[in-house]
Amino acid sequence: MSELVKGDGRTHITSPLMRESLVDRRVIAKTHSDREVQIMPDVLLVGIGGQSIFDRGRAALLPLVEELAAARGTQNIVIGVGGGTRVRHTVSIAYDLGLPLGGIAQLVGAMEEANAVFLNALLARHGSMVMPREHFWELPLYLESKMMPITISIPPYHFWEPPAGDSPLPTHGSDFGLFQYAEVLGMERIIFVKDEDGLYDRDPKRHADARFIPAITLDALLADLPQELILDRMLFEAWRFARHVKQVQIINGLVPGMLTRALAGEPVGTVITKEAA
Amino acid sequence: MNPQRRTIDSSLADALLTRPETGHYDYSPVAMMPDVKVIKIGGQSILDRGRAAVFPILDELVAVKDQYPLLLCTGGGTRARHIYAMASDLELPTGVLAALGGYVPRQNARMVQMLLAKHGGLYIMNDDFEKLPLYFRLGCIPIMTGMPPFGYWEKAGESGRIPANRTDAGVFLTAEVLGAKRALFIKDEDGLFETDPKKNPQAAHIPRITAQELIDRNLDDLVVERVVIQYLLQARFCHEIQIVNGLVPGMITRALAGEDVGTVITKS
Repeated sequence: MSELVKGDGRTHITSPLMRESLVDRRVIAKTHSDREVQIMPDVLLVGIGGQSIFDRGRAALLPLVEELAAARGTQNIVIGVGGGTRVRHTVSIAYDLGLPLGGIAQLVGAMEEANAVFLNALLARHGSMVMPREHFWELPLYLESKMMPITISIPPYHFWEPPAGDSPLPTHGSDFGLFQYAEVLGMERIIFVKDEDGLYDRDPKRHADARFIPAITLDALLADLPQELILDRMLFEAWRFARHVKQVQIINGLVPGMLTRALAGEPVGTVITKEAA
Repeated sequence: MNPQRRTIDSSLADALLTRPETGHYDYSPVAMMPDVKVIKIGGQSILDRGRAAVFPILDELVAVKDQYPLLLCTGGGTRARHIYAMASDLELPTGVLAALGGYVPRQNARMVQMLLAKHGGLYIMNDDFEKLPLYFRLGCIPIMTGMPPFGYWEKAGESGRIPANRTDAGVFLTAEVLGAKRALFIKDEDGLFETDPKKNPQAAHIPRITAQELIDRNLDDLVVERVVIQYLLQARFCHEIQIVNGLVPGMITRALAGEDVGTVITKS
């Protein structure tokens, strides 16, 4: 696959995509296959909420640190952290200042970095480390040495965050970022640690009669997506075409033992599955 | 009793950020650098043609460099296609293709920088974006990759594995965040046609069209990445993209002067 082809004024390298328009749907379809390499299938991604957990301080965080420390070595865990109230304050000020959407997206990741360091300061003696978001290819080394890498969640869209009409809120948020992290590496399970028992049809903080949803498929959820969602809408949209993530679980990290049970595979909280069980 | 959240009071302190609704916001973003001309130099269409195509284009750009701040962004081309083909054959995920596809436009940006160095050509990374005012003040021509920095975070598409956001998307988003009204794409065709003019010489030229009309036509092929048309509909600043044939002398100069040569695709 290395011959050079000339004759139309351009120099091509022979490949099945040579001279082709990469916008042409028929060409794109040719790159499809039912299989896709799972780069690191045996890794579990745990997302720890910013506003839901970190902003509650030691009373919420220390029990989770104990549960994570106890789980270390039993499975390969990567931890993602959210930003919480500082992200909201950042966006509200940036919105008021009229910064462009890409500029707002550029700012928010910095607020997650602090939570990564907070968690690492508590967990380091049990074997954790802060990992730069993109350092995927070092993961086998970290995991082989039983480390628990901690990463920020927000995806690196930065100034290039796609426009969203009249909304000042970047659509590619932290939950989506963690989802994509798991998906591109071929991981199958994500656990989101929040301060509610899981997914409800409405925000349980605002509606006492909100209905808890213990298990649901992605298709059923997308067919009637709640207006008030506990995870980024973009996560569910990206999941439709994703290949590897089979299960997204949402648990209440304020209830002792929940994380341990979820890590052990118990269907506590809400379990959202890609296909009908 | 759950431990209390320590929140900072703000307009969004209790807002649900997971599902933004349109119509809720009074959002008036400021244009950062609306006068910048954001220009893409095509990979397969221009750079892979070598000197014969590239030199006259750079001559035209250098000739106007003191009239407008120029931000040049480069496409990938045949080496990127080779990477995508190899990675598809290996059945790697779309995000990996997007991350690897980033190398080629960066190479191309470096090539253009070497040619423009004597005129103030400056290779910049995405992280140098906030230094643009300095570069323009110094009379430089910053050159960067057209690829947006999504990399491994590029979403999988419904079909195939080619990343949906490539250098056209990155160039559009660059213009949008800078607050530029129009982004200019230098390619090797006169703009948009009903079908690929390289394969059908009779294809009809489309000089001007709205994003919605283009979506409604549901063409199998397009001269720009499909997501750009979607972004155009949502954009706050960049409301037009213009595609010109860089192989025709004078087209770039006319386009930069505001003439609607080639094809103009508009938000509405």
